[in-house]
Amino acid sequence: RMAIRELKVCLLGDTGVGKSSIVCRFVQDHFDHNISPTIGASFMTKTVPCGNELHKFLIWDTAGQERFHSLAPMYYRGSAAAVIVYDITKQDSFHTLKKWVKELKEHGPENIVMAIAGNKCDLSDIREVPLKDAKDYAESIGAIVVETSAKNAINIEELFQGISRQIPPLDPHEKGNNGVICMHGGKPPSQAHRCC
Amino acid sequence: MPGLAAPHPAVTLSQPRELRGGWVLPGSHCALGGAMCSREVEAALLRLEETFSASLAHVNTRILQPLLLADPEPWEPRGREHLQLLQQLLRSSQQLRQLTEQSLQSLLKRLHQPRTTGLEALPLLGSADGVLQVHLEYIESYTSCLVAQVFQQVAKGKREHWLAQCRPLQKYLAGMSFEGSVDAVLGQALCQPLAQHLQQYILLLLRLRDTLRKHHPAQELVINAITLYGNLQSFLQQALDQAVATQALGHSLSSRLKDALCTPGHRLLQDSQDIPVTAIPLRAERVLLFDDALVLLKGPNIHSFDLRLVWVHPVQDRCMLRVVTPEDEFSLCVRDPQDLVVWQWKVSQAVCQALRGKKDFPVLGAGPAPSEPPACRSAAYTFRTKGHLCRATYEGEWYSGRPHGKGTLKWPDGRNHVGNFRWGLEHGFGIYLVPKAIEDKFDCYKCHWQEGTMQGYGICEYSSEEVYRGYFQAGLRHGFGVLDSAPQAPQPFRYTGHWAKDQRSGYGIQEDGNSGERYIGMWQADQRNGSGVVVTQAGICYQSTFQADKMVGPGVLLSEDDSLYEGTFTKDLTPEGKGKITFPNGFTLEGWFGSGTGRGLNTQGVLDTAALPPDPSSTCKRQLGVDAFPVESRWPGVYGPFRVFMVAGCPGELQEALLGFHVQRSRVPRRAQDYLRCERSCLEDEAGRMEDALEELLCHREPAALQRYLQKALNSTWHPLGKLLRTLMLTFQATYGGFGANKHLQGMAQGEVKQHARELWAAYRGLLRVALQRKGQALEEEPEDAETRDLQVHRLMLPLVLPSFYSELFTLYLLLHEPEDALYSQGIASLSLFPDSKLLEFLDVHKHLWPLKDLRLTSNQRSSLVRDRCFLSATECLQKIITTVDPREKLEVLEKTYGEIEATVSRVLGREHKLPMDDLLPLLIYVVSRARIQHLGAEIHLIRDMMDPVHTGGLYDFLLTALESCYEHIQKGGMRLRRLPGHWDLRDLS
Ligand SMILES: Nc1nc2c(ncn2[C@@H]2O[C@H](COP(=O)(O)OP(=O)(O)O)[C@@H](O)[C@H]2O)c(=O)[nH]1
Ligand SMILES: [Mg+2]
Repeated sequence: RMAIRELKVCLLGDTGVGKSSIVCRFVQDHFDHNISPTIGASFMTKTVPCGNELHKFLIWDTAGQERFHSLAPMYYRGSAAAVIVYDITKQDSFHTLKKWVKELKEHGPENIVMAIAGNKCDLSDIREVPLKDAKDYAESIGAIVVETSAKNAINIEELFQGISRQIPPLDPHEKGNNGVICMHGGKPPSQAHRCC
Repeated sequence: MPGLAAPHPAVTLSQPRELRGGWVLPGSHCALGGAMCSREVEAALLRLEETFSASLAHVNTRILQPLLLADPEPWEPRGREHLQLLQQLLRSSQQLRQLTEQSLQSLLKRLHQPRTTGLEALPLLGSADGVLQVHLEYIESYTSCLVAQVFQQVAKGKREHWLAQCRPLQKYLAGMSFEGSVDAVLGQALCQPLAQHLQQYILLLLRLRDTLRKHHPAQELVINAITLYGNLQSFLQQALDQAVATQALGHSLSSRLKDALCTPGHRLLQDSQDIPVTAIPLRAERVLLFDDALVLLKGPNIHSFDLRLVWVHPVQDRCMLRVVTPEDEFSLCVRDPQDLVVWQWKVSQAVCQALRGKKDFPVLGAGPAPSEPPACRSAAYTFRTKGHLCRATYEGEWYSGRPHGKGTLKWPDGRNHVGNFRWGLEHGFGIYLVPKAIEDKFDCYKCHWQEGTMQGYGICEYSSEEVYRGYFQAGLRHGFGVLDSAPQAPQPFRYTGHWAKDQRSGYGIQEDGNSGERYIGMWQADQRNGSGVVVTQAGICYQSTFQADKMVGPGVLLSEDDSLYEGTFTKDLTPEGKGKITFPNGFTLEGWFGSGTGRGLNTQGVLDTAALPPDPSSTCKRQLGVDAFPVESRWPGVYGPFRVFMVAGCPGELQEALLGFHVQRSRVPRRAQDYLRCERSCLEDEAGRMEDALEELLCHREPAALQRYLQKALNSTWHPLGKLLRTLMLTFQATYGGFGANKHLQGMAQGEVKQHARELWAAYRGLLRVALQRKGQALEEEPEDAETRDLQVHRLMLPLVLPSFYSELFTLYLLLHEPEDALYSQGIASLSLFPDSKLLEFLDVHKHLWPLKDLRLTSNQRSSLVRDRCFLSATECLQKIITTVDPREKLEVLEKTYGEIEATVSRVLGREHKLPMDDLLPLLIYVVSRARIQHLGAEIHLIRDMMDPVHTGGLYDFLLTALESCYEHIQKGGMRLRRLPGHWDLRDLS
């Protein structure tokens, strides 16, 4: 019997960096920017295998508009991971990303896994943020970093696999005698369910 | 029958007549020899009746009436008794004569008109019962006279006179003898005619039977009449024997004993002098069996045992009978088994006869079945000794010498117990009245009893007008119970909580009726002791430790203005000693407090004005009592009896005792009778109901059916689950309801509701286990795994249970989130001034998502003034959130609202469209502001607390969070508006 772990993941980043596109690519494996500047939905799930577990990502979109920033804590509370996205063609978006990281460090859940996505890597010719800057920064804060392209489906899977790997494996001692797996803490950032 | 009531016109009782008519039929002379025809037999019967009637007439005028006047001492009690007995005898003799006359008339009529008058016209054939009755009465009154030796007393010394009176009877009586004493002669004169009549009548009836054709309709009647007369003969013989024996007994007794035992109504049935028997261990000299009592004589003492309360059992393999009576048990020993059989048979038959209250007919032991005396009896008895029953009169059902079944006990001091008994003790439901010094005042216990003491649920209405409803143990209040003071008491109160040995003990809530102050916490020996939370009607709330009813040590004091004091304080809630005040604005004052010399509060401490606003969770939203009273162990007294009930296998007879009952309480009772009228809401066939309920439970295990079953059970007033829920509601209201509702108790309350859902689910599982056990099956998943249990509790039980606690619970959420809800309302109020288009614009909703069709712009309008048109379906949908109590249904409403928004957007765009958060949030804010739901903050928090934890992180959680963020956003708008008036000026926007 395989256990399903539910992992709440929240998306953070400026409007237009491609948060919704990344999720859309990950969940539905398509990208359609002709029809609408933003496509996808505000809540999506996808289950992927990871080792001998299944990880069910519960992906929460957030509103990128500046005036809704103060509402963000409601969304990221209880998250197992945060995907923070910037646009490699926009230096500003990388600046915003740093603000999010700072906020998460201060107010976010303990042990939250932070994954930095430098999106639109297909547009590297008009790049403003060097990959090295991002890597150095990520290293300094202990986060995963990867450059992605929702458009060309580059590194999207890898981004989430990276998160999966960062999730600490289940303590075998906490395994119930009937195969149910319990998580740490009072309010678990992720949940485990039985799977048939 | 008028002919029986008044003397027949043809009969004058004063004058004995000569034989009438001299009806002699042709051929009747040869009658006695050969076969007679029916007419001849009837003619012979007629002559017989004439003879009998004439002799009765003679007895009447010559003997009975003169006897009535002859008593030498009519003023003495004995004389009066004799007179009564003679009058009775005269009356029965007259009845007998009327009956004879009636029979005579019918026979005459038949002789004249044999065709129109059937044989059944004869009273003997047509109304045998009446005939029997008249005869029995005569025999009874005659033998009573014999026992009381009436004739001997009355005719004393006038032998010649009475012999002369009797002599003419010779004419009618063949074997009349005039030898012997005067009473013997008189006795003969009064009995012999009847005996002879019966004898001869039978002979003629036998002939009559022979004359009738085989299937003649009257054949059976005649045969019955023969039997009846035969039986009457036997009865008469037995009655005479018993009377003689009783009379003879008198001669062997002292006059005191004789007076006591040989009363006219008494008949001796068996005497240990005839068949020897000894009583062990009473060592009586003589054992007498009367028709109503078993009597042991021991010296001058008489031990008399009412036969209705005598049980006899043979002792195996021994010549011994065990006799059980309410207060004595002894053995009757005989020498040989033959004698044992006689005694046992006699006693048993006498008991049966006594229980029937009527002489066996025709002889003892010939009564209707059963011929063995029943073990269960119904009788009254006053105890002489025997423990707590001493001098009490018990009236009711018995079993083998002990009160058993339903009955009433009355003590001479006015105490009273009406109810069920088992093996001589109060057991089962009973009402016990204890009179109080004040006239007509009682303590009234309507309670369940076990082996003589109150045990289980009961209601006590004290003479002080206090009322206790709850559990008892060993006669004392113990377990869970509610005590209400008298309505007019100077210090009215209600205590809802636990008891031990008649005192408040454990967790309990007491509300003071005058001040409205409510203590929630631990008790010991009727005093506040341990952790306690006090809520005042003014809204002040504190938690502290109590010892012997007094507050000791530091505590937490929260005032209604949300300032917080931590430290020691006095009974009137003034800080005293070391402590710290945190003001709502975050300023703190820490140091020593003292209520100086009448100059109010003085402090030595540090005022910190630099602090940040305080953490709401430790001040305005602080929750008291959650840790002090762990929710799992808050109400053991409520759950406990239920568990006992289930472990015992849900026995119907314990249902009331363990789960309680309800009594309709009308007006305040005034008299003892009022107390005893106790209409319990439950019915007698509780056991059957329980059976049905368990049966039904097994047929409703599929999710939908189970939900229906539980719903019904929880709403029912008698189902164990319903009863449990009702008690829990009572405790919940006592803790959180009414004026004492305080926001600082919300945490306790919400935990308690969930705990109740868990316990009720466990209770259901317990019932299921019992139901399966009864079928010889076991519960499949035992123990239930934690995950399935949580699922059932949240998905199934909580929604069913929540409505019962909702109003109190929601009020607490309301109070807790009042400030935010107020800001939110302001935000809503100002947003509602915007026309739709302005609001969409203000919220930065992308133009391409506007439902322009709903705005309808006229040519000279720069913008639409239309209001509340856009996203109307979503708005109306969201408003439904307050129409349901179930958190899951509320979340479904939210999901539908989200669907409606997307549907509207899809309509506008002309294609399927999923909204990302950037677009969804402004639209949701729009819809929430238009839905204008009051107390949305309270709603959101209640939904979140009561939501199935399975949804955490999922879609429902996401939607609820989205709603919460809208709420907070609107609240901030309200705040901004308050600070910057005119910021959202309509003129700027239009
Ligand atoms: N070239 C390119 N464009 C992208 C990529 N990802 C997103 N976009 C475009 O960026 C714009 C904003 O994307 P969106 O997913 O709505 O960003 P969000 O506001 O962060 O959710 C859209 O026009 C997308 O087509 C990408 O990987 N490469
Ligand atoms: Mg987006």
